[in-house]
Amino acid sequence: MPEKIIEIKSICHTFSDGFIGIKDISLSINKGEFIILAGKNGSGKSTLLRHLNGLLLPDSGHIFVNKLDVSKHLVQTRKNVGMVFQDADTQIVGDTVFDEVAFGLENLKVKRTQINEKVTRVLEDLNLFHLKERNPSTLSGGEKRKLSIAGILVMNPQVIAFDEPFSNLDYPGTRQALSTIIDLNQSGHTIIIATHDVETIICEATRIIIMENGSVKKDGTPDTMVKYLESFGVREPCSSKFGLGLMPWPT
Amino acid sequence: MADLIPFTYRQGQSLLHLVDVRCKFFIICLVSMSMVSAHLFPCFFYFIILLFFFKKAGLNIFASLNGIKYFILLLFFIFIARALTIKGDIVFSFYSMSVTREGLNEGFLVAFKFFLVMVTGLLFSSTTKPSSVKSAVQWFLKPIPFVPEKRVAVMVSLSLGFMPLILKQAGQISDAQKARCGDLQKNPVKRIIRLVLPLLKKTFLSADSLVLAMEARCYSDDRTDPEFEPSGKEIYFLSAGFIISLSLACL
Repeated sequence: MPEKIIEIKSICHTFSDGFIGIKDISLSINKGEFIILAGKNGSGKSTLLRHLNGLLLPDSGHIFVNKLDVSKHLVQTRKNVGMVFQDADTQIVGDTVFDEVAFGLENLKVKRTQINEKVTRVLEDLNLFHLKERNPSTLSGGEKRKLSIAGILVMNPQVIAFDEPFSNLDYPGTRQALSTIIDLNQSGHTIIIATHDVETIICEATRIIIMENGSVKKDGTPDTMVKYLESFGVREPCSSKFGLGLMPWPT
Repeated sequence: MADLIPFTYRQGQSLLHLVDVRCKFFIICLVSMSMVSAHLFPCFFYFIILLFFFKKAGLNIFASLNGIKYFILLLFFIFIARALTIKGDIVFSFYSMSVTREGLNEGFLVAFKFFLVMVTGLLFSSTTKPSSVKSAVQWFLKPIPFVPEKRVAVMVSLSLGFMPLILKQAGQISDAQKARCGDLQKNPVKRIIRLVLPLLKKTFLSADSLVLAMEARCYSDDRTDPEFEPSGKEIYFLSAGFIISLSLACL
């Protein structure tokens, strides 16, 4: 039986202006899954992702990561669930690639020798080591996205949540990011991607959750969900539309 | 990719790049204070030393000066103001204003001193990583009671790191306005308001995203302490710095 890593129990979230972000969502996520959270803008995908990392806490209901209640174990949750944001520029804190990756470990008060060791390993794994002294603002879009992933990966999370990871990326950048995400999943990480354009990743996903107005409308395998996408404002992949089934993107 | 602004760190292996940031900080403070009572000849001598360090650090002095051209314009105004307001032997006069020999000398000296302080800062920031500046700020503030040195240090580092992003956003806003003939507006106050308001909005939104990204990576004030890497040349650097400061103050 697959091991549950995240369990969401009847969570609701209303923003201070009265807008309902999440409406009674319950679901569970197993270790190693590759999940697409699909839905049009404002459907609640990003809000749900932020709950998984403890950046937002539910008004009612509970979220458990590794059986720990997120609201009571924020640091442990943030170590277990890494979050990669949509705009790579505004999440860069360090002034060199190396310092940027080291930021999370410094927050966890890891010893300097261990920080140097872990950061070097992650930069080598993601083929960013040659850029370690570069100013992050001078990197290309694809490199910046990889850098954001490295900053999360160094904290050794089990789950990595991506918010629109392919937005603002050119074709090579998208391929680079996609390849990195697939490698992460193959190395055992649970991947959750919030997006309104599923074409790039649908073939890699094991499950699609379709959201609308803050609630989960459909949940199933890509093969069964693909025909419902357009009725919830998400474009159906071209290959599926033309009757060719789901075809993978080149990486 | 973002362009590097004049005060951005540039990679290198020169003495200024390698020497401990605390020494650089100390010598900069000492030299700047010595400059207050300095005469023209020692200032020229110091300028030649600065040019030497620019060359050694692999920086293009003309490109760097181009980046501070508005500051140089400000120095010109300071020179004019001094030349017109200090009493002495009149060189020439028009209407009720007279330019004096003492005013010209004093104006040139004051403007030149400001210029030297600015160029020293430029050299410092081009050869020092903002993370090292952060570490030095933290180290110097540590003995001062009731000052949250780690928080102040992160603020300094973020301010330095965010500068290229803010300038990039200002450029984008300006281009968007030019594309709609915004440059036809000749009133400088209106033009500034049109630029500043959206820029402030964007900057605050970016700051919000940055806060989220930092929280997602477990940010706290209690972090791994910075590491300093002395190069072994600090004693020579300090000695040279003392001699230069003494020369500026006494000659």
